[in-house]
Amino acid sequence: MRRRRFLAGAAALGSVPALAQSNRKAGAAAQHSDLPARFAPCAYATTKTGYSPFTIPDYYTFASDLIIERNAPGKPHAGKVLAAVQAHVDDVPLFCSGTVAKLIDEGYTGYLIRVSNDEASGATPGHGVAENELDNRNAAKQLGCSKAFSFYYRNHRMDDGAIIELRARLIFLFRALRVNTVFTMDPYNHYDENPDHVVVGKAVEGANWMSGGRDYPEHFKAGLKPASIREKYYYARSPQGHNLVNRIVDVSSYIDAKARVNVANQNKGPAGGAGIRLREYLRRQGKKLPLLGGDDETANFQYVKQFLLEDFHLLGQQFGVQYAEAFRYIGPESPYEDRIRRAALEKAVAI
Amino acid sequence: MREATIERDRSGQPHAGKVFAAVHAHLSDVPYFAGGLCAKLIAEGYTGYLIRTTNDETSGGQSSAQNILSSETEHAAMAKALGFKDVFELYYCSHRMNEISPVELRGRLVFLFRALKADTVLSFNPSSEGEPDSDRWITGRAVEEACWTAGLSNDFHEHFEAGILPHAVRERYWFHARPGQAFNHIVDISGYIGAKIDAIVECRSQGNGNAGSLLRARLAKDGRRLPLLGEDDRTADRAYAREFLLEEFRAYARGHDFEYAERFDYIGPPEDDGAKVEDYIARNAVRI
Repeated sequence: MRRRRFLAGAAALGSVPALAQSNRKAGAAAQHSDLPARFAPCAYATTKTGYSPFTIPDYYTFASDLIIERNAPGKPHAGKVLAAVQAHVDDVPLFCSGTVAKLIDEGYTGYLIRVSNDEASGATPGHGVAENELDNRNAAKQLGCSKAFSFYYRNHRMDDGAIIELRARLIFLFRALRVNTVFTMDPYNHYDENPDHVVVGKAVEGANWMSGGRDYPEHFKAGLKPASIREKYYYARSPQGHNLVNRIVDVSSYIDAKARVNVANQNKGPAGGAGIRLREYLRRQGKKLPLLGGDDETANFQYVKQFLLEDFHLLGQQFGVQYAEAFRYIGPESPYEDRIRRAALEKAVAI
Repeated sequence: MREATIERDRSGQPHAGKVFAAVHAHLSDVPYFAGGLCAKLIAEGYTGYLIRTTNDETSGGQSSAQNILSSETEHAAMAKALGFKDVFELYYCSHRMNEISPVELRGRLVFLFRALKADTVLSFNPSSEGEPDSDRWITGRAVEEACWTAGLSNDFHEHFEAGILPHAVRERYWFHARPGQAFNHIVDISGYIGAKIDAIVECRSQGNGNAGSLLRARLAKDGRRLPLLGEDDRTADRAYAREFLLEEFRAYARGHDFEYAERFDYIGPPEDDGAKVEDYIARNAVRI
């Protein structure tokens, strides 16, 4: 019942662009459920356009204290540092680049860290590695990141290495960059078929707290200081990915940035030069799509925005915003000692 | 059969400005196998750093926790006796280094060699045969790999973000713990035998550093004493070490004009191929 109400509410929200509208019938048909009414569903099937294999997951589980993160005026995050860590060159662009762009615009200094060498995406492994390295730099530039790092572990083989070694490198980098906030693949993302995602998520999760502790004390003798990572944004991998969501970020103002970041991925993922290819496909049939414009740049940008990112529009509509990204967000730890002291002082009596 | 070179005392501070790192697995390794050389290099101008890879939890005769603590304390005292500037402890579980990631250990050593700007390294000969202690050959192997990768710009490039740049190690002194190993370098440590003994007697959890005082106490219990052991524990430990623990190093010096020696497989700086080419050009180039 609850699920049906959820979906009905989604259908009632706001205007939907024509391209999305045309596909919603198919999406709606897919929402049929034989779940008897006495069961409360614990995962919510998402409404998707089917225009891209990598957008939002098939299911979400929402926390009762979910909040919507909206634009923050000014530069409230000035002086803070974020690291967006991805296994592959297209992970951050597809799944969380709107939020990364938003936080950088709001004052964060951003760094993009790619862990694999993406050799599996290219005419040959050599071409794949070289071309995706360049794309990673360009994606970082489009995001507004100060620098891009690549660790070059072998693509699709990251489970043959020692996770502790990767974690050690991340601890070093988080300390060197003075990172406060981290984006990465949810380490508890369900049904992810890609071992690289699983390894990266777990390594980052470990590095997040250990970088603030006393592990690897030799770093401190070289002048590094413990990092203070207080916020984590964990994203799910679609379509199989399924994670607990407690934060929806309104990325409506940054959807163009997200589109441009994805276009920067020329060699991997569903974006790149796909707009040009669609325009050429139509031309061969004696047709054209006006929204693709008259030049390559416009064609690629509009293709990404109007097709590939449309599911983020549908997700946003569920929450009353134009475009959204979803996260398992973990915020700063509660200062429990202060609370105990305050509580103790309230109840304390004079000696 | 290679002819061994002899390294003798050098006057002044010929190594001023240079840095060496001595990397060992256990508390008593460096003092026994290379303590004289460490003291000598530091006296001749080197800045020395000591790196221990294990936590030595299996030596000391106490609980594992107490063994770790006592070894840590004694390691610091031993390093001070030899003149090291600083000590790094990696605390891998003793006798279990087979289970750790070799590349993680290598990464940490690369970091340290770069951060310390190590020009010279002392450690276990990674090609040493018959070494049953896996901690030793794992440490030596990781050091060997780290020596050259520390100088490469594509390995662990994230270090550069913190200003820690590539730095190749140019000289290696490989030592060994078992007899019958290959060596090509004999170092006269006679002038530094006092420092070596001072270091050894700090190794009480392992290495028999307190064997003299223990023997003195045992004899006293029986109503006897050995004049060699003197009147106090420190004298007893030092005398015992000199008399009973250094025979191997006296043997290494036999046939030479010095009393104590340590043996190494030494690998010096690589030949400068660029200079050879330039020299060839200078001698053979003709005008077009």
